[in-house]
Amino acid sequence: MLILAGPISYTQALILGLLQGFAELFPISSLGQSVVLPHLFGWNIHQNANYFISFLVATHLATALVLLGFFWHDWVRILRGMWRSIVEREVSAERNPDGVLGWLLVVGTIPAGILGLLFEDSLRSLFASATSAALFLIGNGLLLFAAEQLRRRAPQVSEDSDERIARTTRWPHALLIGAAQALALIPGFSRAGASMAGGLLVGLSNEDAARFSFLLATPVIGAAAVLKLPELLGSEGNGVRGPAVLAAVCAAVTAYLSVRFLVRYFQTKTLTPFAVFCVVEGIALSAYFLG
Amino acid sequence: MKSNRAIPILAVLAGIALIAVAVVYWTEPAKSLPFPDLLGHQAGSNTVHVKHGVASFLLGLACFALAWFKSGPRRVPGASR
Repeated sequence: MLILAGPISYTQALILGLLQGFAELFPISSLGQSVVLPHLFGWNIHQNANYFISFLVATHLATALVLLGFFWHDWVRILRGMWRSIVEREVSAERNPDGVLGWLLVVGTIPAGILGLLFEDSLRSLFASATSAALFLIGNGLLLFAAEQLRRRAPQVSEDSDERIARTTRWPHALLIGAAQALALIPGFSRAGASMAGGLLVGLSNEDAARFSFLLATPVIGAAAVLKLPELLGSEGNGVRGPAVLAAVCAAVTAYLSVRFLVRYFQTKTLTPFAVFCVVEGIALSAYFLG
Repeated sequence: MKSNRAIPILAVLAGIALIAVAVVYWTEPAKSLPFPDLLGHQAGSNTVHVKHGVASFLLGLACFALAWFKSGPRRVPGASR
């Protein structure tokens, strides 16, 4: 594909970085927003340009590091639990909920990891247009709304969020949530939204589904960023490293504020406002782009 | 009992196969891969699918982990998931 677009300015990097950190964790599709925003502003940035993909690596890495830092103590506990389960050769939600949670995250990462490696480039190319992203935003909103309506309300078995997740979620559930997360390979569908929707459908509360989604995001976003880091550091990153650093800092700030807000928000509230936002935004953008 | 033993054995075999596939991904260019197009074969391409290899390797490790837990000596009744 011939890419005629030029490098990214610092102003564009600032806006895209702020947006990326915010939209990555809110269930409103960061990829979809990063497709429609340049089109809306008339920026000559193509979603599939190598330099733009390299640029996004920095923002993804920043988001993953923020999530890792935010949940650092949880990750230490989870990794200790996993180690204990390996030593004891037992995975028991009653005796070792942290270990179970860790293995659930491993299982949940597998579908998105495999599908991402196999189909990410082709799906990104196929659905790179702003119009399709706007239409899929409507789909994302409907998905979130349906998940809230169809959710299975399981009894709350524990006071501790991680213990509840470990006791409620079964291995096929983790696979389902992981597979739902892979929907986000299509610009317009949100990774956070799809994984939270999957969590609700298997019986998690909003709070637990959000927590599982954030924990699941760290390895997925982090691994994707680390695997693509050589592109940013190599020749494909020429001309965008400065803006990428600025965008990464901005993304880190908004990602931190977002996760802090959302963890509290989902203790009492639902996905419905985000569903409405996505449907309204999708309809408005579709009308604008098609009009 | 037979099915209890079959799962770890199958998981170990799958793990070995997946790690072998990972080595193939890391050492062979896309044009030489013995896999279908969907899994990375590209006629005339010298690209090495490092990420496919990483995915295959990690899946292999997951199979070994499954075998490890399924062949464990201790089972607490009711704790099986």
